[in-house]
Amino acid sequence: MKNICLSGLLFLSILMTGCNQSKTDDSGGKKLVIGATMLSMQNEFVVNVADAMEAKAKELGAELVLVDAERSALKQVEQVESFIAQGVDAIILNPCEVEASSPAVKLALDAKIPIINVNSETSTAPTAFVGSDDEESARIAMKYISEKLGGKGNILMMHGFMGQAAQIKRDKGAKEILKATPGLKLLAEQSGEWDRAKAMSLTENWIQSYGSKVNAIFAQNDEMGMGAVKALEAAGLKGKILVVSVDAIPDALQAVKKGALDATVFQDAKQQGGQAIEAAVKAAKGEKVEASLLIPFKLVTKENVGEFLK
Amino acid sequence: MPILQVTNLTKSYSGIKALDNVQLTLQRGEVHALMGENGAGKSTFMKILIGLIDADSGEIFFEGNELKRGGVNNVQRKGISMIHQEILIIPELTVAQNIFLGREKEITSSKTGWLNDDRINSKAKELLEQMGVDISPYIKMKYLSVAQMQMVEIAKAISNDAKVIIMDEPTSAISDKEVSTLFRIIRDLKVKGVAIIYISHKMDEIFKISDTITVLRDGKYIGTKSAAELDNGSLIKMMVGREIESMFPESNTQKGKRVLSVKNLNKKGKFTDINFEVHTGEILGIAGLMGAGRTEVARAIYGLDKLDSGEIYINGEHVKVKSADEAVKKGIGYVSEDRKGLGFIPQMSVLKNMTLASLSNHRQGIFINPKSENTVTEAMVENLKVKSSGVNQKVTHLSGGNQQKVVIGKVLLSSPKVIILDEPTRGVDVGAKFEIYKLIHDLAAKGIAVIMISSELPEILGMSDRILVLSKGKQTAMLSKEEATQELIMKYAVE
Amino acid sequence: MRSNIQAQFRNFGQYGIFVAFVIICLVLAFSTPRFFTISNLMTIGNQVSINALLAFGVTFVIITGGIDLSLGSMVAVTGVVAATFAHPDTYPVVVPIFIGLAAGSAIGAFNGLVITKSKVPPFIVTLGTMTIGRGLALIFSKGRPVSNLSDSFNFIGGGNLFGIPFPIIILIIAFIVCSIILNKTILGRYMYAVGGNEPAARASGIRVNNVKMWVYTICGLLSAMGGILLTSRITTGQPNAGAGFELDAIAAAIIGGTSTSGGTGTMTGTLIGALLIGVISNSLDLLNVTSYYQQVVMGAIIIGAVVLDSMGKEG
Repeated sequence: MKNICLSGLLFLSILMTGCNQSKTDDSGGKKLVIGATMLSMQNEFVVNVADAMEAKAKELGAELVLVDAERSALKQVEQVESFIAQGVDAIILNPCEVEASSPAVKLALDAKIPIINVNSETSTAPTAFVGSDDEESARIAMKYISEKLGGKGNILMMHGFMGQAAQIKRDKGAKEILKATPGLKLLAEQSGEWDRAKAMSLTENWIQSYGSKVNAIFAQNDEMGMGAVKALEAAGLKGKILVVSVDAIPDALQAVKKGALDATVFQDAKQQGGQAIEAAVKAAKGEKVEASLLIPFKLVTKENVGEFLK
Repeated sequence: MPILQVTNLTKSYSGIKALDNVQLTLQRGEVHALMGENGAGKSTFMKILIGLIDADSGEIFFEGNELKRGGVNNVQRKGISMIHQEILIIPELTVAQNIFLGREKEITSSKTGWLNDDRINSKAKELLEQMGVDISPYIKMKYLSVAQMQMVEIAKAISNDAKVIIMDEPTSAISDKEVSTLFRIIRDLKVKGVAIIYISHKMDEIFKISDTITVLRDGKYIGTKSAAELDNGSLIKMMVGREIESMFPESNTQKGKRVLSVKNLNKKGKFTDINFEVHTGEILGIAGLMGAGRTEVARAIYGLDKLDSGEIYINGEHVKVKSADEAVKKGIGYVSEDRKGLGFIPQMSVLKNMTLASLSNHRQGIFINPKSENTVTEAMVENLKVKSSGVNQKVTHLSGGNQQKVVIGKVLLSSPKVIILDEPTRGVDVGAKFEIYKLIHDLAAKGIAVIMISSELPEILGMSDRILVLSKGKQTAMLSKEEATQELIMKYAVE
Repeated sequence: MRSNIQAQFRNFGQYGIFVAFVIICLVLAFSTPRFFTISNLMTIGNQVSINALLAFGVTFVIITGGIDLSLGSMVAVTGVVAATFAHPDTYPVVVPIFIGLAAGSAIGAFNGLVITKSKVPPFIVTLGTMTIGRGLALIFSKGRPVSNLSDSFNFIGGGNLFGIPFPIIILIIAFIVCSIILNKTILGRYMYAVGGNEPAARASGIRVNNVKMWVYTICGLLSAMGGILLTSRITTGQPNAGAGFELDAIAAAIIGGTSTSGGTGTMTGTLIGALLIGVISNSLDLLNVTSYYQQVVMGAIIIGAVVLDSMGKEG
């Protein structure tokens, strides 16, 4: 039922795009139409990227049709098919999965429509990739933990949904640093499913298991980091255990400012969204775009949090 | 040589003997009635015969050989089939598919797993034509009437080459006309040498169809007699172990003021222009064939179905009854013919079922007062002589007669001014029947106006002060007790 | 004699799940010393509270022969709505609580209304409400978590009273009230009647539609309590919270002996069902079992518990 409703909406939005396409804008040139399919509009980071895309599209005078794939790679492929059928000028893909979303990229390339991947990768190379290297984010976070603990201590790691690209990469990055730092010991690792409440329960259970033996918790996203902070605060352990996570969502920035969360890694949603639109517009006009536009991560601590708070 | 010979069959459940040295001799081409009150051991006996359960001791010889156990399938293959009281069918499959269910391979002599519906259909058609029943093999089972489903079950048994067919209460849910079709088929089977074990509570049927009668009581074998040797009274005596002078108690209640009257009740396709009245202390019988609209009228008065037009008066006051809860408030009580479907809540105890329609009497704020609930139920259980291990026993564990008493008790606790009893003794054994008749008289004596719907003419004649006859949704006669006879009622019922 | 034995079997059926629960707890107590400590038991109680509240609600619904799939979405909507009114220095804490509970009751009543008026099966209706609810939560929150909540609001899910976590106190009160509704009130009796045999209940003069309206509304109210508790516990109203909660709640009710065909079930059973689920996930974390295996173990134990329960009932 949900699917029917949504595809109905998609159909409508495409119809409207179709109408818009025939119009010309004030400057007399044809208005560019960009189709974008996003991983999940229930995810705050994705919403932020989408907002940045819309702002940039408006600034550049392009028409942006934005749809939600609801974490379904199949739906994403279908959405891209619709975009192609409607003859959009460029496509922005925020992939659901590395492999399963790949056919969408191939379809677009075959149809000679430029396709830009934003935020994460697919196994088929698109026209351009705009995003950040997830492994790097975990390396930055883990290095910070290592520095703070003087290269020695017991660590717990909280995974995202097992098997998702972000989880795999952040796991890989974190393990690299752990390997290079023999003083750091990984006591336990478990999935918090990217979810605040689940992470809170998990941390409560960990406290029962390991108590004050723990020196630091690395959570693969801020939602889980916030959950860990809540549980530690309730147990009166916050001052003793370091918590570091990734994404720099507003909630996490507030927590860093208050000192509840020790650090987060800033992934620049605004830059990712904006640059994706810029790349799409360039490519649609036939200009050359760089194959990979990496937007660097930044470590956010209490010292520099002011720069990131709006 | 008898086709089936059973000797010294004994079966105990946790030390209680359900069957104690039971015997039975069944000849080819014989209709053998198995009689006994509910709980006499008939169903345990039949379950053993068809291989559903094993006996503790005793022998069963079938065609001279000891019948080896081996489950229902094995027994069925040897030639013993049972037509169950609750018919076991797959509603979404066709008649033909149901008849040959589970035997598709052998019937079509198919070696692969492919179905051959043409072959199944033609076989079924042949079979039904032989039986002389007009049922299409292609129609889905769910569109058949109960009687037709029964015919299909019998066809299934015949197709199994059954030499013994057990029929458990085959007429409990079919009309008189359909009963005669059934009896014709039974007689045809007899001629072919098939032996029938016939279980029923209806005395007149037993004497009409059976050759021999075996009676069980409390799991014990009482005796076997030829039907010609017995009459109603002597058979009942064998069954209950005592003399019941008259099935129907004497009534000496005086008819009082008018309680319920209905005017020009109409419901399209169900009934037209129904008019009658009932007085305090009076029992109004409603007679008619299946489908005459008796139950439909009762349901409409009780608010379960909507009337198209017509008026209902209680104590002279015009009332509108749009749902059962309004009917209860207005003082109408209804005991449905469909005890399982509309009578009780199976998961609930005797107590909870009994007070269900009158919980407002035990209300304390939003709470139930358990004490008053208990007192009232205990009194009613004693009054109605409900046999149970206590008011907290589940209703499903009671016998049919006691379940019926619980349902009647529930309606009585809501203090009705008029009570409609729809087939009050269906599926109830002889002893309990008598008690229910007494109970109905007591109700009338207490000043309740009673309406009793029944398909059993002796019951209608024995109980009613006046008899309303319906035919095809129309009211064809209102007979007084004095003028009514079975023949007269039948005449109006088929009019 | 015979009925005695039968009664004993039935008793075992009734307590089978309790026995299973005790056995599992004993096994866990021996396999990890950290399991049977006051602080860990408090932790479990805290974690179980939200699922138990939802399970109580859905137990009412299942007893009447219905089902409610919109629990998880109601958690999200009520959480987001309550959070919107729970920022510091805006309204007193009763305002977000009241509005949250009202929102849950309203959605529940909507379920009840559509089910009783349209005769569409509850499964379909609440499946629709599930999607509608999720959408409403996203609309209210504009897709973003609603954070920065007042301390008094955060006390609901994070505070202690006499050393006992506040969610546990709410859980105990809700359990007592729900048990009383089910066992001592006319409404409770009618719920069993409607689920046991709806036509018979109607023919007994019970206003079946009224009973259903109450049941779905109460279920909505309890979901709202769960939503407020969750929001307060994680100090944000999240539009994507509560996804899949309905399944855990239904599992708890069924493990606790509530029959999906209606007419039977107890609050005690449901509470034990919820505790069982909570204890298992807690102990698997304590034993550091990988999440892959956790799911397999959880599923196996759910099936095992119900098989044990039904074996007891067959006697």
